[in-house]
Amino acid sequence: MSEDLQKLIDEAVKKALAGDDEAINGIEDRVTRAKAKAALVKAKREQPNASEKSSTSESNEEQPAVENSENVTSKITKMLDYKFSDCLDGELHSDFIQLKPEYWFEIAKFLKEDPDAYFDSLQCNTGFDLGDGMLESRYNLHSMKHLHSIEIRIKVNIDNPDIPSVESIWRVADWFERETYDMFGINFTGHRDLRRILLPEDWDGWPLRKDYEEQETYHGIVVPKVKEGWE
Amino acid sequence: MGVVHGQEMVLNIGPQHPATHGVLRLQVKTDGEVISEITPYLGYLHRCFEKHCENVSYEQVIPFTDRCDYLASMTMNFGYVVAMEQLMDIKVNDRVEYIRVIMAELQRIASHLLAIGVFGLDLGAFTPFLHMLRDRERIIDLFEMTCGARLLYNYMWVGGLSHDLPKGFVEATLNFLDYFEPKVDEFENLLGHNKIFVERTADIGIMPAEVAINYGVTGPNLRASGVNWDLRKDNPYSVYSKLDFNVPVGKGIKGTVGDSWDRFYVRLQEIRESVKIVRQAIDQLPKDGDVHQSMPKKIRPPKGSIYSRTESPRGDLGYYIESDGSDTPYRLKMRSPAFTALGVLNEIAGGWLMSDVLAILGSLDIVLGEIDR
Repeated sequence: MSEDLQKLIDEAVKKALAGDDEAINGIEDRVTRAKAKAALVKAKREQPNASEKSSTSESNEEQPAVENSENVTSKITKMLDYKFSDCLDGELHSDFIQLKPEYWFEIAKFLKEDPDAYFDSLQCNTGFDLGDGMLESRYNLHSMKHLHSIEIRIKVNIDNPDIPSVESIWRVADWFERETYDMFGINFTGHRDLRRILLPEDWDGWPLRKDYEEQETYHGIVVPKVKEGWE
Repeated sequence: MGVVHGQEMVLNIGPQHPATHGVLRLQVKTDGEVISEITPYLGYLHRCFEKHCENVSYEQVIPFTDRCDYLASMTMNFGYVVAMEQLMDIKVNDRVEYIRVIMAELQRIASHLLAIGVFGLDLGAFTPFLHMLRDRERIIDLFEMTCGARLLYNYMWVGGLSHDLPKGFVEATLNFLDYFEPKVDEFENLLGHNKIFVERTADIGIMPAEVAINYGVTGPNLRASGVNWDLRKDNPYSVYSKLDFNVPVGKGIKGTVGDSWDRFYVRLQEIRESVKIVRQAIDQLPKDGDVHQSMPKKIRPPKGSIYSRTESPRGDLGYYIESDGSDTPYRLKMRSPAFTALGVLNEIAGGWLMSDVLAILGSLDIVLGEIDR
């Protein structure tokens, strides 16, 4: 950029900051005008009190640094192990926590209410077919206060796929669990309204299981099964 | 004497969205004019997205993501490629990142324009809708210029882009922004301060911040409730940390924080912020850099899983991808922001009048393609 242009931009920005918007809009060359506008944005940011961020909720007033997810996972694992003995399933992992289904409801309540954990937001619930007759439900939790997140995994046998529902703790789990039930047939015990959500109520089978076979007909309509096109 | 109850009546709205965002049936229980319960029935647009993904290779998933949220295809692509690049540990060059941000923000403007326009249309304001559709058309022309498609782009690929920017794109975009910026004020006057519109949206369908977080509501709907939460700021991906923009939050100017009018107004302000971002991104766009530079010859991520979130126009768009080391995803789950936004409807619409239901539903800006997948 030549010095003349830089001077022009600087002057325009100065005028605009004083309240004269026409100074920038009057620049004829389009690229120069864009640069002037960008420079104005930058100048406004550097001015004190120009940012609107101050008027926000309490969660952002003291922004803690985003903690390393592995540290959080091991910290929460220790907390859970101390508080609920025999709740962990199998060996320890660095990036997720494997739990037994029995205490899940109490643990979820604890994770939401404990001031150090405070996972107030359930981000995602993923059903999973591990093969070998095991199903898994995975929960991605996030704390809007501490800005940390963990992943919980709960494994169940395909013949007896019962996992306590956390729908009354995080209301968002209501529809998440219905979807997981719809696709995998995991039975969330204690759910107040466990129905299929995406598929029709009279559909047969659990489509996202790996051994799923489509039904032959649905209300007299033949279900197409051609798969060659995909390969 | 006890309270007199009128006879409860069950009404069906749909199966059709009043402004055809998709197909949805709401079963509404009413006590006279007052809503006592709403039960949404979904699935009319279910296209087995997740099941299909398990049968195609990773790059073939991208066109499917387009079709989930067909009003914001660019950001759907963006979320997926960000997740895949994290999983495969790919770093793309700055030119690619800036082009992606330009496209995502233009897409956000286009999506919000339609959201606001259709919201007005739901309430009977036909003129603003036409104005917004006219300007959205110009953004779509820019996309068409870039990749040839007008609705479903398949533009962002894992490790790069399908095409570099065409000649004249930067000038055309700046031209558009210069034309468009004053129009935003016009929209605000045309719709936002319109007496009828304010009467029908202010203080209607109030969503407190705790309810929004508990129901997993994200994006503009959450910010309208006064929570300053934007993944572009709070968990920056791509080059958003190098760009300067504000996160508008609801302040209850016309009524209460978190009412339908706030949800409208947050979107309108986000359009202004997106314009700002596009200008900066064009200003900082590196001149050289091959958009195919980091593209892997064969997409075969290592074993493992990733949950990655990006900010789509409708909120936190999450992809959970599990790889077993082969060419196809073992499991791919999309966490749809509109899905959770619709989930809160029963909570915030209960107690309001029948005519308010459409105002509240319109203000949530749902796209059924993404909800049903």
